[in-house]
Amino acid sequence: MNETTPPPAAAPALAAHWTCPFCPLLCDDLQPDAATLGLPDSACPRARDGLSALAGAPASGARVDGRAADLDDALAAAAARLAAVRQPLMAGLGGDVAAARAAFRLAAAVGAICDAVGGDALVQGLRVQQDRGGFNLTLAEVRERADLVVFVGSWPEGRAPRLIERFTAGRDQGPAMVALGAVPMAEGVESVLPVAALADSLTMLSALVAGRRLERPNPELQVLAERLRAAHYAVLVWEPAQLGPHGGLLIEMIQRIVVTLNQSTRAAGFPLAGANGAATANQAFTWLGGLPLRSRIGHHAIEHQPQRYGAARLVAEGETDLLLWANPFPGVVPIDTPLPRIVLAAPDAAATLGDESNTIFIPVATPGVHHRGHLFRTDGVVLMPLFALREDGLPPLAEVLGRLAEAMEGGA
Amino acid sequence: MKTLRLRGGRVVDPANPGSGTIRDIGVRDGRIVDLHPDAPADEVIDCGGCLVMAGGIDLHTHIGGGKVNLARLLLPELQRDCCTPDAAQAWPEALDPAAHVVPGTLLTGYRYAQMGYTSAFEPAMVPANARHAHMEMGDVPILDHGAYVMLGSDELLLRWMAEGKPFEQIRDYIGWTLNATKALGLKVVNPGGISAFKFNQRKLDVDEHHSHWRVTPRDILHTLARGLTELGVPHPLHIHGSNLGIPGNIESTLATIDALEGLRAHLTHIQFHSYGTEGPKKFSSAALQLVEAVNRHPNISIDVGQIMFGQTVTASGDTMRQLANAHHASPRKWVGADIECDAGCGVVPFRYKEQSYVNALQWAIGLEIFLLVKDPWRVVLTTDHPNGGPFTSYPHLIRLLMDRDFRNEQLARIHPDVAANSALKDITRELTLDEIAIMTRAGPARLLGLADRGHLAAGAAADIAVYREAGDPESMFTTPEHVFKDGVRVAYKGRITASPVGGTHFVEPAFDRGIEKHLKAHHDVHGSVRFEHLAISHDELCECSRCGGTHVVACEPGGAV
Repeated sequence: MNETTPPPAAAPALAAHWTCPFCPLLCDDLQPDAATLGLPDSACPRARDGLSALAGAPASGARVDGRAADLDDALAAAAARLAAVRQPLMAGLGGDVAAARAAFRLAAAVGAICDAVGGDALVQGLRVQQDRGGFNLTLAEVRERADLVVFVGSWPEGRAPRLIERFTAGRDQGPAMVALGAVPMAEGVESVLPVAALADSLTMLSALVAGRRLERPNPELQVLAERLRAAHYAVLVWEPAQLGPHGGLLIEMIQRIVVTLNQSTRAAGFPLAGANGAATANQAFTWLGGLPLRSRIGHHAIEHQPQRYGAARLVAEGETDLLLWANPFPGVVPIDTPLPRIVLAAPDAAATLGDESNTIFIPVATPGVHHRGHLFRTDGVVLMPLFALREDGLPPLAEVLGRLAEAMEGGA
Repeated sequence: MKTLRLRGGRVVDPANPGSGTIRDIGVRDGRIVDLHPDAPADEVIDCGGCLVMAGGIDLHTHIGGGKVNLARLLLPELQRDCCTPDAAQAWPEALDPAAHVVPGTLLTGYRYAQMGYTSAFEPAMVPANARHAHMEMGDVPILDHGAYVMLGSDELLLRWMAEGKPFEQIRDYIGWTLNATKALGLKVVNPGGISAFKFNQRKLDVDEHHSHWRVTPRDILHTLARGLTELGVPHPLHIHGSNLGIPGNIESTLATIDALEGLRAHLTHIQFHSYGTEGPKKFSSAALQLVEAVNRHPNISIDVGQIMFGQTVTASGDTMRQLANAHHASPRKWVGADIECDAGCGVVPFRYKEQSYVNALQWAIGLEIFLLVKDPWRVVLTTDHPNGGPFTSYPHLIRLLMDRDFRNEQLARIHPDVAANSALKDITRELTLDEIAIMTRAGPARLLGLADRGHLAAGAAADIAVYREAGDPESMFTTPEHVFKDGVRVAYKGRITASPVGGTHFVEPAFDRGIEKHLKAHHDVHGSVRFEHLAISHDELCECSRCGGTHVVACEPGGAV
């Protein structure tokens, strides 16, 4: 695909091709000014925020324990610290496919435990996939077919501002939309807010959809169940990160409703998840080694422990002796810890590091802004190509991880 | 420019004259070369007592892409502690077959190479998932690869057929799709049925109408096969037929052959489509009917999709049939998806049991087909990995085909009604080494249009497997002495010795670019990605597949039918 480089003239040069990497929808129809990274005020607020965080010159170069260092020295120091520890943790994982491939290689070289950025939310969805499976659909299918969309547990506009637009663009008659256990912030969306907790609502809804007679059914849920059964194609939308620590159970109930509906009509789920490259890292780790994130890539075995290998827990309980944080998107804050840290992040992370006495910081470029790449969309099917708007002189995360892997493989 | 001489092996090369003779094979620059017996070589490998064959080619194996990764996510319990790059180097002594049901891409490449296979082709690439499929195939080390892109349940084709658009428009759409996704061939899965299921249709016979678009599988099959013929794509339409797994589906299989009206086609995992309704259980082998039809139609090739007993997972684009079979899931869980107005997928774990009448009959039907089709060039050895069983069971399958006594021993172990009544017990044929070489190398290469693969004539790629002629065929084909990929030794006695990046094979048929304005008009309304961002360029393919080399397979428009 075409890379777009800013022309010398001062006139705004709108990027002919751009995929926004700042939310899991990966919209590819916006045209930022490649020189200033500006977007019109009317454009998606997440896209504008993401670009404006990268609009200035990089706030920081590489630093070793708070002192400026050049990239080679910082990499050498990072390799030395990796070589000196027993159980490194690679956390915050997310990035384009190239970065995930390099991360797997480094993890295999040092026997690292690996967790995704937002790993707690990832594992909620993962647990259901591993225990029961599910039936989902993709963005174009929602737009083409859904006649009823139910948002369960949260209203996703803040995380994916254009979701409704993507569901309905160009349709003569859009789907009926209902928010269950969430306050909708859009016109034309009905709200069903039974008093009970979401888990109780879903349990009851599931029973009603299955045609079970209940003694005192909630009338609103009864109506919703009837509408689900009458719909030609119902879609249930949820955000694992908004469903709390027992989100997995809620997702399981949602999928049970989908399974029941599919016995007589059509239905599918649509999770909104995997932001900041988490879904992409998880997919790549899964295909390379056979097991998803929250795994230890050991020399002789990959050990998958979705509950035990949460990054925050491992750090808090001292089950790791080095944190390597790797995520190239702005606004992602690395875990704070007195452990030795290697932070590979967007330049704005420098301001969040706190005590740097034991921290190597290497700023990296952001895929989809400074270089090309690929990210998985929220549906996990479409792998979107990313385009470069302009260079910022920083290395891609894949390059930094690849150089570290090379150093560690050589030392092995 | 180093020269390698493989000295004194028995060369099994049925694509060329003189197969079975003892002679030397020369290798230079990754290619087979004619080497005078007295010519010097930089390295000489003694192949006395060994068979020398072209590297194996698996023409239908689910090794990469969305549904394969969904299967991995669904089944962490099937991953064994052998999945790391280091651990995969050696073929373990006590091989747990379940470890190879849905291996990661690294293990996939190593295990295939350790068996002497050097190419593997993913048969079900969804257009919307093409980049992902190429990423995964690129991360399968050593093997050359390629994929067949799925059409036939995509809304655009069905709409255009329903609207009676000119054939040429549909032909150019096929051409565009093959180019845009960098595919080697075209696959149709349950023609029209994946779409019909999105409209809540649960069954679609070959002459039944799609409830919304009012087109029939018969018309879809003929249109796609004709399109490929006119575009000159070497691999004929790859057909996963209607009614997979349903007793009596031999009728739809014969109707599928009839629908082609003599156009070339490849019927895949045909075992799953060769069922009758006779007997007390209303489920019987229709292998004889199938074989008779294949023998009578030289335009038809098949791969078998042999089932092997044990745990596996079925990963298919056929959402309609997978949902219908989901209650058989073992363990009890499954995953499916409706995809992008293109296609769908369903992943259902499954355990084939020797004492199950149905499974035992499936096993026997597959073997009957292998042993009864006359022309080995039109039969390819597959288990439809992992749907019938993992690819690592190929050596066992080869022994079943080459060794009648062994076959009968196995037959005695399965469900007694099948053992007593199957035609298999009376089949005396034992496949020869030449026939095995055709079904695992020369035949698939020819069916895919890979002129320089699958054989050992001068000029061919030096993809070579050297097997020590000792023991039974199963142990011989499990661990070759040497395996070479493009002239580089990649395995030695079961250990990986090098791990080059494999190349991508694809076609670029010519088509009228005028089609793009129609595609864009449709996509602007019904798509979710800008039309301009759909096509994969050569540069991007290189990024996806780790630049292992691009092999454009020649098309011959208007070529022989």
